Amino acid sequence: MSGVEWTFIKIVIGMLLILGFIAFNAILLGYGERKISGFIQGRLGPYAVGPHGSLQMMVDMVKLMTKQIITPKKADGFLFWTAPILSFMSVPVLFMVIPFSPSFTVINSGLGIVIILAFSGLNVLALCIGGLGSNNKWSLLGAARAVSQFIAFEVPILLVVLSITLMTGTLSLSEIISKQGGFPWQWNIVLQPIAFVIMFVASLAEMNRVPFDLPEGESELTAGYSTEYGGMGFGLFVLAEYTHIVVASSVITTLFLGGWKGPVFSGIWWFLLKMYILCFIILWIRWAFPRVRFDQLLNLSWKYLIPAGIFNLLATALLVKLF
Amino acid sequence: MVFSWLHFAIILFLLGGLGFAIGPLMASKLLSHKIKDELLYTSYECGMVPHGDAWGKFGINYYFYALIFLAFDVDVLYLFPVAVFYPQAPGIVPFIDVLIFVGILGAAVVYFLRKGVFTWPRKVHIQ
Repeated sequence: MSGVEWTFIKIVIGMLLILGFIAFNAILLGYGERKISGFIQGRLGPYAVGPHGSLQMMVDMVKLMTKQIITPKKADGFLFWTAPILSFMSVPVLFMVIPFSPSFTVINSGLGIVIILAFSGLNVLALCIGGLGSNNKWSLLGAARAVSQFIAFEVPILLVVLSITLMTGTLSLSEIISKQGGFPWQWNIVLQPIAFVIMFVASLAEMNRVPFDLPEGESELTAGYSTEYGGMGFGLFVLAEYTHIVVASSVITTLFLGGWKGPVFSGIWWFLLKMYILCFIILWIRWAFPRVRFDQLLNLSWKYLIPAGIFNLLATALLVKLF
Repeated sequence: MVFSWLHFAIILFLLGGLGFAIGPLMASKLLSHKIKDELLYTSYECGMVPHGDAWGKFGINYYFYALIFLAFDVDVLYLFPVAVFYPQAPGIVPFIDVLIFVGILGAAVVYFLRKGVFTWPRKVHIQ
């Protein structure tokens, strides 16, 4: 078989595997979130369908699919339906460049992290379109908040990625992993502790997760940008949100926690282990912290994270030259 | 145009995501019941009959942040090519260049802070 055909087959198989991975993770995180929230609040969570409620998400998917699709009369139909599709469409591309292990990488691009930063921006465009196209006051306010929150927390993430790039001299995710070692003290988190904290907080805010879920704060804005969506339209937004949790965990694992490298038996299992621990922490935070106020949220970024990011960038630049 | 596997993969993945998103929507279109009720298609406003249109003017007091972001984002973007070649660049001069560039960025944050962009006006309570 020639090389061209092999590359083509590899990309197609990679795409199918990644779509399956996305669906699997949505089910896993959806179930995990309800179970974890139940245990944290002293409840059982879902337990009726299947052993320990493990088939609850399947039933929910059937429910979402059999719900009537409603386009509000006042809404702009085209924008209204572009939004959930666009929100999900950009998600598989994010997984394309993530090196799960040396053999489980779809495309090993020298621009890896830039592609992830570029395509994760499409999600906020989708939220903006959805909120605007709904012609609903809650949705519009939610969309305005989503955009300003996203742009506030995009800058610290860029500064953090720049610090890592300054240190390693590459934008390729697999090369960033190859410069780290297997043991925890050889990971970038030891060299860049400030960057790790900034990255984690800013990622939480970019995904619209609690404590930064102002765009859909249900006690203030009903459901924010997704107020008018029901059934599968809403399902696609949720699917994209859960997948963004997985993507953010994967990126943090790659940049700071050594990726697929571990003390023994380096491989994809180490990547998945680190990724799922981060996912668990993100789900845990949702039930442990109250929501912040909106001016506090924006000022957290502009007053604290960005100055800290700039300081970290300059310190990294100096230390790279000194050593 | 030069063919690149990266571009091909991006387009293929976008199409895959599109299919993955449209499939359930189509299934939903086929499977769901179709009720034609007037009230089902009104906008949601806590159960009331919607008052007016949402596409009007409303005050966003954080538009300033958007302007600052635009400046920041473009500036940081220029640093990416610099960062890739930074570790190989000899001598201390590259550090001074980066220091000047990032220093101006940092000065911008301090300027906006002093100008009061980040302090929101307190709501006035009328007795």
